[in-house]
Amino acid sequence: MWPGVNTIGGASAGPDVDAQLMLRVRDGDEDSFRVLLDKHRNPLVHFLYRMVQVQPVAEELAQEVFLRIYRTRASYEPTAKFTTWMFRIATHLALNWLRDEKHARAEQRLDGPRGDEMPAWEVPDRKPSVEQRMVHQARMQEIREAIARLPDKQRAAVLMHKYEEMEYSQIASVLECSESAVKSLLFRAYETLRAGLAHMVAGGKR
Amino acid sequence: MKCPLQTEETPVVLLDYAAGRLEGARRLKLERHLAGCARCEAFRAEQAEVWDLLDAWEPPAVSTGFNRVLWRRIDEAAAAPWHRKLAEALRFGAWKPAFPIAAAAMVIVAGFVFDHRTESRPGSDPSGATATQISTPNSGIEADQVEKTLDDIQLLRQFDAVSSIRSKPI
Repeated sequence: MWPGVNTIGGASAGPDVDAQLMLRVRDGDEDSFRVLLDKHRNPLVHFLYRMVQVQPVAEELAQEVFLRIYRTRASYEPTAKFTTWMFRIATHLALNWLRDEKHARAEQRLDGPRGDEMPAWEVPDRKPSVEQRMVHQARMQEIREAIARLPDKQRAAVLMHKYEEMEYSQIASVLECSESAVKSLLFRAYETLRAGLAHMVAGGKR
Repeated sequence: MKCPLQTEETPVVLLDYAAGRLEGARRLKLERHLAGCARCEAFRAEQAEVWDLLDAWEPPAVSTGFNRVLWRRIDEAAAAPWHRKLAEALRFGAWKPAFPIAAAAMVIVAGFVFDHRTESRPGSDPSGATATQISTPNSGIEADQVEKTLDDIQLLRQFDAVSSIRSKPI
């Protein structure tokens, strides 16, 4: 029921700006789609990257999300926030991918650090020493692994809460569960992260 | 304020505080509580440290050709023949639950159509109908019953013949 299901709850406040743009897309305005694409491309790819932790896959899934949005434009109804709908599609695709690729993903994690883990903008202005780079890479690797060890739904909830700054109600709408279930998911997820990353924060990491 | 760690099932108020999303009176109230509750303060400090660690995790940059690839795919999808569009739509996992329902519906419809066509075949004569009946499993049971009845009739005739011989005066 995914494609064409644009009737997600939680839109009591009326159409948002994105929803208005999407209505124009529905009416054949491709420029409005370009605006939506430019606005949401990076947050969406970043969310998917943190979910699946493989950049090409994250981009492929993000393309699939935008393709679905475009394909179902004719039946779009602004009954929910546009981002809720978009992240709901994205989460669905990411959870499917994680389910299907669990073994392959485990092997990739065992391969160790990937080339994409330290983008240029993470490097401070002054040139870091080899040792600093290695320490930084090791820390990022540990954070990624701690997130990857979370159950899929907990991971999605944490990423939406932490990086997308979504409200509990919106996360609940995306994950199709109650608000109290989201709070419970988040509490357990952060508890696991606190335990998993405790060694990184105990010894004066910064 | 009652201790969130002791009174609430999921003390998200502490998560909200560490995330900087608690404001106004609730924030002041919690801060007063934190000042006197070592357990909650330890929880908050740990959560804040995890929050900072997660902040450090930056994803890689998105490919510069992302939009170009997307528009190409949109154009390809628009130009694709209908069967490819259908296959593409069915490729998504969300349609999987619909498959068994669709298959069941197709079997029912096919059965109905087949049955309907068999019953109302134009030009079928009574002998043809009899032949059709004999070929069905139910008509097999009827044939057995007819055969048994014929046997019973024959047996009765034999009894009748025997009794008529016995009743003849010697």
